[in-house]
Amino acid sequence: MQRSRLALVGAIAASALAITACSGGGGDTDAAASENAISYGTTDPQLLIPGRQSVAFDFNMAVWSPLTFLNNDGSLDYVAAESVETDDATTYTITLRDGWTFHDGTPVTAQSYVDSWNAVAYGPNAMENSGQLANIVGYADLNPAEGEPTTTEMSGLTVVDDTTFTVELSGPDGQFPLQVSQAMTAFYPMPETAMDDLDAYNVHPIGNGPFEIVDDYVENETIVVTAYEDFAGDEPTIDQISFVPYTDEATAYTDVLAGNLDVNGVPANRLTQAEGDFGDRLYSFEAPGISFLGLPLWDERYQDVRVRQAISMAIDRETIIDVVYGGTYEPATAWTPTIEPGTPEGICGEYCEYDPEAAAALLEEAGGFEGTMEIYFPGGGGLDPLYEAIANQLRQNLGIEATIDPSADWAEFLATRTAGDIDSPYFSRWGALYPSQQATLRVFFIQGGGCDNCIPFYSDEVAAAMATADADPSGDGTAYADVQELIQAEFPAVPLFNETYSYVTSERIAELVTSPVGNPTLREIVLAD
Amino acid sequence: MTGAVAPVDLPTTTMGQRGVWASLRKRPVFWICSAVLALLVVVALVPQLFAGLFGQPDPRACQLGDSSQPPSATHVFGTDLQGCDIYANVIYGTSTSIFIGVLTTVLCLAIAIVLGTIAGYVGGVLDRLISRLTDVFLGFPFLLGAIVVLNSVGGRSPVMVALVLAFFSWPTMARLVRGAVRGVKGTEYVQAAQAMGIPDSRILARHVVPNSIGPVMAIAATMVGSVIVAESTLTFLGVGLQSPSISWGLQLSNAQSYFSSAPHMLLFPSLFLSVTVLALITLGDILRDTLDPKGRR
Repeated sequence: MQRSRLALVGAIAASALAITACSGGGGDTDAAASENAISYGTTDPQLLIPGRQSVAFDFNMAVWSPLTFLNNDGSLDYVAAESVETDDATTYTITLRDGWTFHDGTPVTAQSYVDSWNAVAYGPNAMENSGQLANIVGYADLNPAEGEPTTTEMSGLTVVDDTTFTVELSGPDGQFPLQVSQAMTAFYPMPETAMDDLDAYNVHPIGNGPFEIVDDYVENETIVVTAYEDFAGDEPTIDQISFVPYTDEATAYTDVLAGNLDVNGVPANRLTQAEGDFGDRLYSFEAPGISFLGLPLWDERYQDVRVRQAISMAIDRETIIDVVYGGTYEPATAWTPTIEPGTPEGICGEYCEYDPEAAAALLEEAGGFEGTMEIYFPGGGGLDPLYEAIANQLRQNLGIEATIDPSADWAEFLATRTAGDIDSPYFSRWGALYPSQQATLRVFFIQGGGCDNCIPFYSDEVAAAMATADADPSGDGTAYADVQELIQAEFPAVPLFNETYSYVTSERIAELVTSPVGNPTLREIVLAD
Repeated sequence: MTGAVAPVDLPTTTMGQRGVWASLRKRPVFWICSAVLALLVVVALVPQLFAGLFGQPDPRACQLGDSSQPPSATHVFGTDLQGCDIYANVIYGTSTSIFIGVLTTVLCLAIAIVLGTIAGYVGGVLDRLISRLTDVFLGFPFLLGAIVVLNSVGGRSPVMVALVLAFFSWPTMARLVRGAVRGVKGTEYVQAAQAMGIPDSRILARHVVPNSIGPVMAIAATMVGSVIVAESTLTFLGVGLQSPSISWGLQLSNAQSYFSSAPHMLLFPSLFLSVTVLALITLGDILRDTLDPKGRR
């Protein structure tokens, strides 16, 4: 009660609600100052700093500026970097723009980047996002299998001068400029003072972005950021953002509907009604996320590729999207989301199209299916309707006795899946941080890529094809089609949906702008008059 | 909540007396409740007879394309999010709810009669031990305890949920039995039997238990209702039954998110739940009133 009242007060104070009829008393100077302010619903982040955050992407993208920024049309803008260049796709030279400062006034230099990346990668710091830097030469030295690392610096990073440094990668990778784009927060710079006391830095983060944090971060309280006066990049369209923490997304949704909050993501169980509630104030952004139905390839019943294809053909993706996701998702037709450049759309062909008769015939041809199927997924996250629908369709179209089996929580699910201790189809999805097929294919199909056993199909052939595609200097992603063909032949999982991230806004917002990472770009938000 | 079954003044008359039946059968509410409950018990025992009445006999025959339809000729109660017929689901849900209600109450009764009788009849150290044990259980917040236990057990089948509910609900009833047994123990016929040297086991079986169980039965009827509500509450909170079980609580839990767009999904299971619980609690009240005319307020 106390918390939600605080949050509400925060929202009101910060956003100066447009309930003019209720705003008694004139001469309120705060209201004038915050006319260009918005409030944004979040989960209380706990961890704010780039190397560690996991649910503070929007805060990070406001307080820091990335080296590069990927636009909706697939073009790459340079933000904090003037250029990111290479001759061989292995060594990159990054030139920074001149005149950029952190919010504490200290200049952003090549040394700041190198020190920050070293600190994030340094094993004993145990930074959650350090894996993003794993391709830099010397990362392994900072993260030895056992014992303390003997060095604190990655040998692949070299400072050339104040605004130039070079990065050596462990293998050729044409996608590196995308890896330093907006959502790859581990590549953000931190000022020198941060390195002295990372815990204090988490309470009062200082970045190089368009907004600076006003007060120290207090758990479960609204975080207010205001425009940084000396920001060297493009000026943001708004002056202030309040990140209001909610424990229940449904409450935040209702607050947006009531005009108490300006922007919030749409919880899964509100997707069906969001369009009716908000009309054109519902934004569904195409995101680099893809959902699969993972299959237990270690179970002999799933060995025959025809069984796997039959399961895929027995699922009516269109109807599930309409009923469960309010029509906001798109059926998957390839092994990566369509928004990732060069994705071979339609490579899945007939096997991703709903055809119950053909599915039943194919299963029959493969010798049928014995036993039951208990689709396993993390419970408590609102995923029940999706998997119940899939179970119903498999039961009705293939005659398999399929039911659902939600886990107690996410931790239990993750432990079970990582151990490979499942004998039924299961939840498998990934939202990539940069829209490149590399980001999706790597986590799913390279062992240790980040999503263990999401699709338990790891072959040397695919790994070799990935390395070849990574090395492709064109960087347009077409090279990954070869990898997808190898995967398609094996059909190791069931592609379900290309995800969208949906947001709703109050009437104060005229337009919510996005980028291919799927989140709104808050600094470019357009306010209504 | 079962925790809300308040200890009541114990009626002193017993079920066996002729006056009780004569007084019961004169009350129309008794007959209404009995008829409703009889019907629900038949539905619970043979749901397949009733589910097919309107042409949709299978609660698990779901067409996703028919999702969230309002009541119509084909689906008299409409369909839920998955396109399953709500009427068939509500009918099959009756089985689960009544099964859990009855199983839990029977388990509680069994524990309560054994422990309550020992405490009330033997007394002494055993009485103090058992009484403190019930105190400990009563001091434990029921909902919290059930959530913790249910979260830590694996598969949450109806039997498991019933066991957990019984685990937290028996103490109230054990106290009632203990009180009743103590009352009967002090009567002259029991003292006479003891004086005659009849073994305790026989006194208990012939005199004490039959004469003290009547008032407890009245509370048991109320308790079946409370247990059904408790099961629905836990399921609604996401810690009770899970699919593929079919229960009213599960239907309510699934429907809650869509209340504003499809209220019928919530209406029908809650209607059945309310009627059942109302009938059980009213019946329990009538029984108590009849057994203890002085206790009427």
